[in-house]
Amino acid sequence: MERIYIFTRFERFWHWTQALLIIAMLITGFEIHGTYKLFGFEKADQLHVYAAWALITLWVFAIFWHFTTGEWRQYLPSFKKIDVVIRHYAWGIFQGEPHPFKMTRARKHNPLQAFAYLGVKILINPLIWISGLAYLYYNELEAAGVALNLGTIAMLHTIGAFMMLCFLIAHVYLITTGHTVTAHLKAMITGWEEDDAEPDKQTP
Amino acid sequence: MKVHRLVSTLIACGLLCASTLASAYDADWKRGRIYYRSVCTACHAAQAGGSIAPSTMTKAEWGAYLQKDKHAKGKDSVKQYVSKSYRASIRSQNKAADKFADLPDEELFEDLKAFLIKGAKDGDAPASCS
Amino acid sequence: MKISHLGLLASLLFAGIVQAADAPAPTKLNTTADHSKFKELQREFTSGPEVTKACLTCHTEAALQIHRTKHWTWELVNPLNQQRLGKKNVINNYCLSSGTNLGACATCHVGYGWTDASFDFKSQENVDCLVCHDTSGNYKKLQGGGQPPVKDTENPPGSGKIVKAIDLAAIAQKVGKTSRDTCGACHFFGGGGDGVKHGDMDSSLASPEKSVDVHMDATGLDFTCSTCHKAPAHDVVGSRYTPTGKDAGDAHIRGKVNKSNPATCQSCHGQTPHKAGAQPAKLNQHSDKVACQTCHIPQFARGGVPTKMNWDWSAAGKLSPEGKPMLKKDAHGHVIYDSKKGDFVVAENVTPEYAWFNGEVTYTLLGDKVDKADGITQINALGGNASDGRSLIWPMKVMRGSQPFDPVNKTLLKAHLAGNDDTAFWKNFNWEKAIETGMKDANAPFSGKVDFLKTEMYWPITHMVAPKEKAVGCNECHATGGRLDKIQGVYIPGRDANQLVNLIGWLAAGGTLAGVMLHALVRIVRRKN
Repeated sequence: MERIYIFTRFERFWHWTQALLIIAMLITGFEIHGTYKLFGFEKADQLHVYAAWALITLWVFAIFWHFTTGEWRQYLPSFKKIDVVIRHYAWGIFQGEPHPFKMTRARKHNPLQAFAYLGVKILINPLIWISGLAYLYYNELEAAGVALNLGTIAMLHTIGAFMMLCFLIAHVYLITTGHTVTAHLKAMITGWEEDDAEPDKQTP
Repeated sequence: MKVHRLVSTLIACGLLCASTLASAYDADWKRGRIYYRSVCTACHAAQAGGSIAPSTMTKAEWGAYLQKDKHAKGKDSVKQYVSKSYRASIRSQNKAADKFADLPDEELFEDLKAFLIKGAKDGDAPASCS
Repeated sequence: MKISHLGLLASLLFAGIVQAADAPAPTKLNTTADHSKFKELQREFTSGPEVTKACLTCHTEAALQIHRTKHWTWELVNPLNQQRLGKKNVINNYCLSSGTNLGACATCHVGYGWTDASFDFKSQENVDCLVCHDTSGNYKKLQGGGQPPVKDTENPPGSGKIVKAIDLAAIAQKVGKTSRDTCGACHFFGGGGDGVKHGDMDSSLASPEKSVDVHMDATGLDFTCSTCHKAPAHDVVGSRYTPTGKDAGDAHIRGKVNKSNPATCQSCHGQTPHKAGAQPAKLNQHSDKVACQTCHIPQFARGGVPTKMNWDWSAAGKLSPEGKPMLKKDAHGHVIYDSKKGDFVVAENVTPEYAWFNGEVTYTLLGDKVDKADGITQINALGGNASDGRSLIWPMKVMRGSQPFDPVNKTLLKAHLAGNDDTAFWKNFNWEKAIETGMKDANAPFSGKVDFLKTEMYWPITHMVAPKEKAVGCNECHATGGRLDKIQGVYIPGRDANQLVNLIGWLAAGGTLAGVMLHALVRIVRRKN
């Protein structure tokens, strides 16, 4: 069995901090939205804003890291073998077939995954960032002559939140689809991914 | 006749001036009101069983009470509770004592007296507790 | 010869005694003029106007300044809509209107002798200086002209109540700045009793604790009314007839010409008053939509004095089986029924209602058409909405009531209430007679028919600002069913949401969850096989 060091220490730190912050922001965000009562509006709002700044800081570092390391290329979309991957999730996985995508240090994500992450990065994140900052600086924007309706800002922010929630659900599930249920999870903790390239005992 | 009246008036006037100047202090009933409410009433209501509205006694009764200066049936004095040392002892928990911490004892006592006489049952503005 | 000798002796004696008194009076630092030293005031006064004349010998312009003010004229023209307002003109849902009741009402006029239309508004000596400048707390005015009692007087006449004489000279010699006590002597008792009218003003503010009013706190900041309600040339600013709905200006600075109302919160605190706490910037951002008072006055009538919330005049006039007027009190001793006035609802610690308000007030005046069919008549309709850019969300005391109107002419009515005569309602309990007198005095038509309709009067709440720890918490508005539940035209996070986005969003999230669970299920089932 092949082991590759796929996630660097910074990447793992980034991933888990981001995961924690996003989950915290979903919990507090939907409370601010009025979906339920947990911390109380004031506390929820406070936590949400603190988490937002922490996440923004983290993203600044992450973006810097992506560009300095060239890792941003991981998210370049590619249709190559995408049909095979789709077929795997729709059919092959149920037959116990191994994953058709061979991950390498240069290409960590399968094409479907890369598309999903690209979507998060160029669609969901900017939507949440921009609407969130507009939410925070609503009065300053108005004073600067950009009169936006707070309801519209809130609506866009909520749409972003729902998209993030859907992504989170799918993402959490898909990490269980490695060659073992916990393989991907382990990789994101240790950095080492075990590839089931060679036929092994798990294959029926 | 006229002369006598003039003389007696002047003497009376002189005595009056003397007596005012001897105390030499123009009592401030509003200051008395604050101290009475925040210190006297507050403590009585909390620890000594009930409120002590100025209007429960007459001017004469208040005058006599303050003259005798016997607080808690003679256990201690009223003046003691108006003194700087008492104010210093409670100023950390009592804003009125803190505000008037440096006021001379005699002045604060006169302020208090002015408020009580004014607020007495037969005073100019009877003060009850709402 | 003899006289001068004796005089000399007396003078020597006098001087001797004065010198014998060791402690000289401490220099007064709160004024440059000790009025007890003025010859003009060292005499006996037998009437209010006599005192005023003495005041005017030095303060030559004072009465003329007073003549220009609402406190004197009880009248003003609202510059926004040209309505003629003031106590002389308005009708409210407390004691309805002044008119023929001036004998009682004008006890709170800053003058002497106003009982009817014959009053001379040009008279300087009829200005009452003492009612505002008394510091002794002993000044009083009698009903029926507002004269001070210079001897023990039965007042109102025939009531059996004796008002004790006051010493005008002593009071005049101790005049000083206005105080919460002097302003409060009228303004705390508006509507006929302590705390009745405003809700945020009652006798508890004479010497309040911090919890009742953070600014007037007697052991703290100790603001007087005039600390905010400044009075250039005796003209007190901050009238309810022409209020400031939204003060978008900065805090006033010495030396700078500040034309805006100096009684607003913003005139001291500016637009960004929150400096500390978890999110001061977010709190400051509220100031474009929410009046300071909305969060900082969580309840009104907090000083232990209840305020009147409802007054049903239609229930007035019921007499006991013996034909006597009745008085009913609640468990706390507050009057809830009075044959003279009807049913009352009083309340303490009242949570305000909220409304957009831009400072424009339109009164329903005598002659304005009112109709039962139009629902509740607004005594003073408030202007303002979310989008005019001049409104803020304000806390309100809403005074509700039922009061007489003319079902034929469709107007509100003025009634003759107080008076020892054949038509006064409080003596005869006959609406038709009382209203006929009241309307005749106002030179207004009356059909002879009386009916009652429901009215509302709005009192923007601005006093009794609580300490910051007691300010209204975020949760109380940012929620469904919260304090601002009925406020339209503004998006309140926690209260509002786009329901379509919610629906699609939860369907999408739920669908994703269902999808992955189904996928997982198939995997598990397949693996077992």
